[in-house]
Amino acid sequence: MASLTTDVLVIGGGATGTGVAWDAALRGFEVVLVDRADLSEGTSGRFHGLLHSGGRYVVKDPRAAEECIAENGIVRRVAADCIEDTGGLFVTTPFDDPEYADRFVAGCRATGVDCEEIPVAQAIRQEPRLNPGISRAFRVPDGNIDAWKTIWSMARGVTERGGRVMPYHAAVAIHRDGDEVTGARLRDTRSGEEVDVEARMTVNAAGAWAGRVADLAGIEGVRILPGRGIMIAMNHRLVNTVVNRCQMPSDGDIIVPIRTVSVIGTTDQHTEDPDDQTVMQSEVDAMLDDGEKLVPGFRRARALRVWTGVRPLFEDAKASDTDTRDVTRAHALLDHAERDGISRFVTITGGKLTTFRLMAEETMNAVCAQLGEDRPCTTTTQPLPGSEGGQHYRLGERLERKEQHLREEQLICECELIPRSKLEATLRRTGTMNLDDIRRLLRLGMGPCQGGFCIYRATGVLHGLDGLTAEQADEALLHFLQERWKGVWPILYGDQLRQARLDDWIFQGVLDVEHLPS
Amino acid sequence: MRSELHYDAVVIGAGVAGLVAGTRLAEGGARVCVLAKGVGSTHLAPGTVDVLGYAPERVDEPGRAVGELIAARPDHPYALIGIETIGEALAWLAERVAQGPLHGYRYVGGLERNHLLPTAVGVVRPSTLVPETMAGGDLRAGGPVCIVGSPVLRDFHPSLCAANLVRAGVDARSVELTFEVDRADQNALGLARRFDDPSWRAAFASQLAPRLQGEERVGLPAVLGSTDPHGAWSDLEERLGRRVFEIPTLPPSVPGMRLFEVLRSALRANGGRLVLGSEVVAAERADGRVVSVSGHASGRDVRYVAPSFVLATGGFASGAIELGSDWVTREQVLGLPLRGEPPAGEPRFVGEYLTEQPMARVGVAVDAQLRAEGAENVVVAGAALPGAVPWRELSGEGIAVASGHRAATVILSRAAAGAAA
Repeated sequence: MASLTTDVLVIGGGATGTGVAWDAALRGFEVVLVDRADLSEGTSGRFHGLLHSGGRYVVKDPRAAEECIAENGIVRRVAADCIEDTGGLFVTTPFDDPEYADRFVAGCRATGVDCEEIPVAQAIRQEPRLNPGISRAFRVPDGNIDAWKTIWSMARGVTERGGRVMPYHAAVAIHRDGDEVTGARLRDTRSGEEVDVEARMTVNAAGAWAGRVADLAGIEGVRILPGRGIMIAMNHRLVNTVVNRCQMPSDGDIIVPIRTVSVIGTTDQHTEDPDDQTVMQSEVDAMLDDGEKLVPGFRRARALRVWTGVRPLFEDAKASDTDTRDVTRAHALLDHAERDGISRFVTITGGKLTTFRLMAEETMNAVCAQLGEDRPCTTTTQPLPGSEGGQHYRLGERLERKEQHLREEQLICECELIPRSKLEATLRRTGTMNLDDIRRLLRLGMGPCQGGFCIYRATGVLHGLDGLTAEQADEALLHFLQERWKGVWPILYGDQLRQARLDDWIFQGVLDVEHLPS
Repeated sequence: MRSELHYDAVVIGAGVAGLVAGTRLAEGGARVCVLAKGVGSTHLAPGTVDVLGYAPERVDEPGRAVGELIAARPDHPYALIGIETIGEALAWLAERVAQGPLHGYRYVGGLERNHLLPTAVGVVRPSTLVPETMAGGDLRAGGPVCIVGSPVLRDFHPSLCAANLVRAGVDARSVELTFEVDRADQNALGLARRFDDPSWRAAFASQLAPRLQGEERVGLPAVLGSTDPHGAWSDLEERLGRRVFEIPTLPPSVPGMRLFEVLRSALRANGGRLVLGSEVVAAERADGRVVSVSGHASGRDVRYVAPSFVLATGGFASGAIELGSDWVTREQVLGLPLRGEPPAGEPRFVGEYLTEQPMARVGVAVDAQLRAEGAENVVVAGAALPGAVPWRELSGEGIAVASGHRAATVILSRAAAGAAA
C-alpha cells in the first residue's frame, strides 16, 4: 500500500477544510487535503452564495453577526476576484412585523454591522421589482461569493506551495497510537486503491459529516444536527442587490443575485442523514410564495434549478431537535486533547461560508499550539491566487472577455461562455472523466439550456482526449444527464418544463442515448 | 383598427402536423390559412419520419408493431388514426417531397421495415421514412463505415460516434478533416450552405478521398446542402466513388428545414397561406364551437374566421400546453380540456431521467375523429394529442404526418357532407 507523510492532514474539501489547508500552507506546513468526493461538493457548493454582512444575525445571534462583519471586510480583500459587491438591502414588507426594524437597527449598532436607512423610494429605484408595499429599507454590505472559485483558488495556492490536494479520497480509518491520532487511511473512491497518510496533526473539517469522521477516530459525542434547506435559482437577476426581509431569519426570506441568476433560500428541515437531498413539493411551493412577497411576479419567472444544502450545526443544549435555525450559526472548534484526552486531532465544524477564513485561522492556531510551534497566520493579508489585483468580479466580465475572441474561439457551452480550449485544458489538468466536476470548475451546463447543447459537445471533446474509451465517455454523458435532471425535475413548470422537453427531444429523440450500447 | 379574414379552415401551428393538414386541405379545395407563432419542431428534429422505433423493444417492422400498439393502447393517437391512414399519409408525404422544390430530393422507406441509422452519438436508431441522403447509412447492410467530421463543427463528434458503433458491433472508424473557416462557431446550417457550393464540395472530396479505405461507406453530419441536397449528396457520392450518408445531429436540423421547405412550398402551390410570427392571443367561442381566433402580429390583432380549425400547436415543448407554477396544466391557445395527467397527489415527474415521466402523455382530450372535447369544429393533430411519448417511442413525425393527414380528411368530409345536405 502507498503511504504519505505530512505535517497536517485535512479531511474535508469544503471552504473550511480548504481554508485550513491554505492557512497551513501559508504557515509553511506540509499539508494533504482530502475529500471523499470533489472539492466543494458538500455544503460549501450548495448554498445561496451570500457573503454575509452579518445583518441576518444582529438580533438573533449577535456573536455570529460580529464574526460575519469582520470576515466580510477581510474576505473582500483577500478573495476579491471571487466576490461581487452587490450590496444588500433589508426591507420591511407588508408581511413583516414593523417593530422588528428598530430592533434590527439597534442590533446593527451593537454588533458593528454597517447599516444605513434609505428612503423606500430610493430602494425601489435601485430594485424596481421589489414589492412596492415595503415600508422601510436598510442598506448593508452584503455581497455574493463564488464558493467554487474561492475553494479552487485556495486549492491552487496549496498545490503551488507543495501541498497535495486529493479529491475522491475518503477517509476510511483514522489511525490511533494510544491517545494520539497519527493519520488516516484513505480510499480512492474511483479506483478503490488505498493509501496511508501519516500526519503530525489531523484536522476533521468534514462539516455536516464531521460526526462520522470523529467516530472513525473513536471519539464520541460529536453530534452534528444536519439542517437541510432548499435553494432555487431563478433564470434572471430579478434583483441586482441582495434582498433580505427585515424580520427574524426565517424560510425564503432572502434573494441573492449571483452570476446570471438569483437564488432564493431557504428552508430548514431537520434530517438525520447529511446526504439527504430530498426536495419536497411543499418546500418548492413555499419558496415561490415567499419569492412573491419580496418580488411580486416571482412565480412567473423561470426556475432554473433547485438544490439542497445541509447546514453543519453543532449540537447545542439550548436547541430544540426540530428547529435547527435556533442553533448558533457560529462555529465550533473542538480540541480533542482538551475535550477527550486524544491529541493531534482537532474538529472544526458549524459556521458558515462567510467565516471560513476565521475558522481556518482558529483551527491552525490550535494545531500550532498542539505542535508547540509559533507560526503566525497570514490569511488576513495574503490574497488568494487570482485575487492579487484586488478587483471584484463584475457581471458581464466573462462575456466581455469572450467577445474579444468571438471569431477565433469555439464555444462549447454558450450559456456559460465556455470555450473549447478552456474545456480541453481543464479536462487535461484535472484528469477527470466526470463532467459534473467540470460543472463545478467551469459552470458547464449551468445555464438556461441545462446542458441541452453542451453535454453532447463536451462528451465528444472528452472522448477526443487521449485514452478515453467510448464506455467511459458514455458513462460521463449519462451521469451528467442524470445529475442535471436531479436539479430540475422538482421545479419543472412553465418555461423550464418546456426546456426539459426540448432536451428530451435532443437526447432521447435525436441522439437516442437511452439505447447506447451497454 | 382590427381586420378580419375568412377562410374555410384555419390551421394553428406550422410544424409537420399543421403543414400536412394545411396542405391536404388546400389540395382538397379549401381556402386555408396556416397561422403560427413560429416554425415548428422541424428545425429541431432529425428530419426523418419515425413511425415507431421502440415498443419498448426496438421495432423492426413498424406496420406490424403499430398494429400491436393499437390493440394494446386504445388511448394512443395511432389507435384513433388507424394503420391505413398512416400508410396513406407516408405515401402522400413521400410524393410531396419528390415533387417538391428540392430537385430530386426524396424520402425512402415504409411501414414494412425500419431503417437502422446511426445517431451522432453512435446509437443504432430505428427510423421509418428517411431522406435518401440518410438511407445509405442503414446498418442492416453491414460492411465497414467511416464517420467523417471536423472540429469546425462542435455539434458532431465522429470519434465518439464511431467508437459507439464499434461497441454495437459495427465495423466503424472515424476521420477528422480541417478547413479554414471565417469564424470558429459553425453550426450545421452554416456548413450546409457551404455544401451547396460545388467548388467547396470538390475541395472537400479531394481532402477526404485519400483517407478512405476499402469498401467503406462515408457517414457525415447532416449538412449536405440546404437548397440542393440531392445534387450535393449525389455529387459527393460520385466524387468519392462510394456511398455517402448523412447523420442527424444537434439543432438546427438541416434535413428538418428541408422538410419544412417542401411542405411550405406544397401548401403555397395549392393556394394555402402561411402566416408565421402571428401568435393566437384570443378565441371567440359560441355553442361549443370556435368561431374565430385572433392572431397578434406587428402590433395589431387580426381575426381569422372559419367553420373549421386544426389545432396543431404541439405539446409542452412549444409552450402550447403549459404546466403553471400553481401546478395546473392548461392548453394555452383555446383553453381546451386535457387528458393524460397523473391523478392528483401522484408525482408528475420522477427522479430517474431515462424513464417514462408521469406527465409524458398529457394532451388535448379528443374523440375518435380527433375533435377536441368541448369544441366540435376543432380537430387536433400532432404533439398536442394525448397518449403518446413520441421522443421515447420515436413516433413524433409519424403521429404528426398521420394525424395532420387525418385532420384534413375529417374536415374535408364534413364540408362535403355539409355541401351535400
